Amino acid sequence: MKYVLLAVAAVATLAAAVLLGPADVPLRDVLGSPIVWQLRLPRAVLAFLVGGALGVSGVALQALVRNPLADPFLLGLSGGAGLGAVAAIALDLPGPWALPLAAFVGAVSAMALVYRLGLMGGAELDPRILLLGGVAVGAFAAAITTAIVSLAEATELRNAFLWLWGGFSGASWTTVLVILVYAPLPLAVLAAAARPLDLLALGEEPAQYLGADVRRLKRLVYLAASLLTAAAVAVAGVIGFVGLIVPHLCRLVWGRLHRALFPTAFLVGGTLLAAADTLARTVVAPRELPVGIVTALLGVPVFAFLLRRWTVS
Amino acid sequence: MRRWAHRTHLAGLLMLAAVAACRRAERAAPPHSLAVTDDAGRRVALTAPAQRVVSLLPSFTELLFAIGAGDRLVGRTAWCDYPPEALRVPSVGDGMPPNVEAVAARHPDLVVLYRSGPNITAAEQLERLGIKTVLLDLNRLEDLGPAARRLGVLTGRVASADSLAGAMDSLASQPPAPGSQSLVFIVWDNPAIVIGAGSYLDRLAALSGARNVFHDIGSPSAQVSIETIAARDPDFVAVLSDSAVPPRYARRPEWRAVRAVRARRFLFLPGQLFGRPGPRVAEAVRELRRRLDQAP
Amino acid sequence: MDRELILALSGVTCRYSGAPRDSLQGVSLEVRAGEFHAVLGPNGSGKTTLVRAALGLVRPAAGRAEIVGRPASAWSRRDLARVVGVLPQREDNLFPQRVRETVLLGRYPHLSLLGGVRAADRAAVERALVACDAADLADRWLWTLSGGEYQRIRLARALAQEPRLLVLDEPTASLDLRHEMELFELVRALVDGQGLAALMITHHVNLAARFADRVLLLAEGRPAGAGAPGDVLTRETAERVFAWPVSIAPFEGRPQMIPLRLRKKAP
Repeated sequence: MKYVLLAVAAVATLAAAVLLGPADVPLRDVLGSPIVWQLRLPRAVLAFLVGGALGVSGVALQALVRNPLADPFLLGLSGGAGLGAVAAIALDLPGPWALPLAAFVGAVSAMALVYRLGLMGGAELDPRILLLGGVAVGAFAAAITTAIVSLAEATELRNAFLWLWGGFSGASWTTVLVILVYAPLPLAVLAAAARPLDLLALGEEPAQYLGADVRRLKRLVYLAASLLTAAAVAVAGVIGFVGLIVPHLCRLVWGRLHRALFPTAFLVGGTLLAAADTLARTVVAPRELPVGIVTALLGVPVFAFLLRRWTVS
Repeated sequence: MRRWAHRTHLAGLLMLAAVAACRRAERAAPPHSLAVTDDAGRRVALTAPAQRVVSLLPSFTELLFAIGAGDRLVGRTAWCDYPPEALRVPSVGDGMPPNVEAVAARHPDLVVLYRSGPNITAAEQLERLGIKTVLLDLNRLEDLGPAARRLGVLTGRVASADSLAGAMDSLASQPPAPGSQSLVFIVWDNPAIVIGAGSYLDRLAALSGARNVFHDIGSPSAQVSIETIAARDPDFVAVLSDSAVPPRYARRPEWRAVRAVRARRFLFLPGQLFGRPGPRVAEAVRELRRRLDQAP
Repeated sequence: MDRELILALSGVTCRYSGAPRDSLQGVSLEVRAGEFHAVLGPNGSGKTTLVRAALGLVRPAAGRAEIVGRPASAWSRRDLARVVGVLPQREDNLFPQRVRETVLLGRYPHLSLLGGVRAADRAAVERALVACDAADLADRWLWTLSGGEYQRIRLARALAQEPRLLVLDEPTASLDLRHEMELFELVRALVDGQGLAALMITHHVNLAARFADRVLLLAEGRPAGAGAPGDVLTRETAERVFAWPVSIAPFEGRPQMIPLRLRKKAP
């Protein structure tokens, strides 16, 4: 029953995203309108996919570091992406894909650095080292970014920060296609890790005794979740609230088993972000709000409501 | 009753005129006491016209040359590139924020700054070194006249400053010129940032007979969705660019929903002329008009 | 008839990196089906290391560890989890869960990657709960259970793995008398009734002596005695290993260790 409601909510949100917008597209023209097909639909689909990726990534990372307050962007990825984006602008890299590609490379580099830190001294991706390393790498990248911005001449660099705050302005079918081709592999890896992640919640040693190859599991989950997040940042900037809240919402309604959590987190994250983007586009029309603000404003009251229901029951 | 209203009305007008006259009298004070009130509310007084001026904004550099005080300039920012004579003046850095030491090293008797937070701090630092500073607004067309007048007083070039200011003021009070074309100014693509009514560029467009499709947004700039731009269907996309190469985002698929982008109807406006309010406003308006007429 | 050899350690020596001395030195152990083994010794004598080495978590510097004839390092974790059920000392509980859910985790080694939970799995969970006398707790939330009930649930989870060997690391550490006795009785019943092998690390020397078939006494990583409780727990051995004067008194045919009070020396 809950699944049916979720599916209905997802479809309804996508429909609203397609039908609502600052341009006035009459209902009978919707199917033929280029604004719908070239702008609203790819944007809604992209928001859904990115929200789904962030939701799934959040679930995986919270399980990996065994901390329900973990967010995909705690691992330094946003700092790396920002540095990549600013470097692309400062170096005036050519091509319309320069910015997302550079942001992706930056995020993945940050991921690799934190991964390396996590393996140092035989630490085997200790959650505390991952979190601390992520904060350190993120801060380091942010410092270099700020230095570049303050030293460089282009005033456009200030606008790079606006991009970093997150948004789906750059959505197109090409971007959607890139995500559709790229995301299934990390998603499949995480889906296969669902049961072992249930075991990991007991602790690393008990999980091993129950059959989980914890070493391999941690590495695969870290890499898959980080790659998903890096792709999300590359196309949409940093939208930080989704990966933190969606796992909690899903756990409150569907329990803690990851076989149920991963698909529902994808749908809930996608729905939440598509709804947030629609609001961002329409609430202060003709202007737009950054999506991250809307996700925070939407997510917190919903979470407070569910939390209350959970503690009362 | 009506005569009483008339008389009160007349008295009010007379009072306004008197106040205005007093103000002008205050500004056109005898040469040995040059004083103005700047836009930070400070009273700036010189005993003699400034002979060594540092300008920390390209528009002020242009203004100083335009009122005939260019030969007094001993320091400029790295961005001050017009008129060509300005390039011979030593640079004191990019001015964002001002390098107080570099400015002081030029031994100025007046430093002209644009009124902003960091600049107010820099002005205070310069004042502590005993250097006089004046902070002026220069965001809108209406600011040009008052700025020119006050620079005229401080440099003793009152007559030419007043005539320049007169031209600026009359331009600022002109209504939008008639015209049927529309445009949008796009300063950034991801997210899309456009210019609104609060900006100097919006006025330029209006004076040249083109309608800024985002004139309804009051702020100087705002983030909008591509969809909104496409829906408002401007005839042209105006960008500040020194070359005639279409911006990179023009090739991206989602921007093709905007008719002007699809049809490559761009207006490339050189930053030097269009990027900042300055004495060449009239020339900018003419140039924009010319490009609008020339476009296919 | 020789019972099947489930776990065999021979001459195992282990040292953690950076440690000043070996955690285990030359330890040998044979656990057969239907046998209840206890591992005793003071703190730091290497008991937990023994479990880790036996189950392939720690590679021995010398010696061999074999489970059902195969070297411990050759087992995949998943296959091993179908043969050995372990109750580690510590376990985390990040998110609230129900008893049935947590016992079901014990079936995970049997679940295929794509397949779901089958009727056979649920039946195994029920059987495990019944065997641990915990069927009535099945729908309770874990955080509402007492210490003793919680340990029984963990044992049920290990049983749900349908193992041939149960390894329990200090399972009665914080339990009261009644729950402690119940747990020992439960393990004994499982060993006798289902032919499981059991290896229990415990501080409780006396209960180990009464319930276990064989005892391994460790002192500073070295074996101080292995065999039947009566053979291992002599006064000399106990006093040497535990560094305290004791008296050994028999009870129901098993040695019970009674620590003596120190006599005050005359001033």
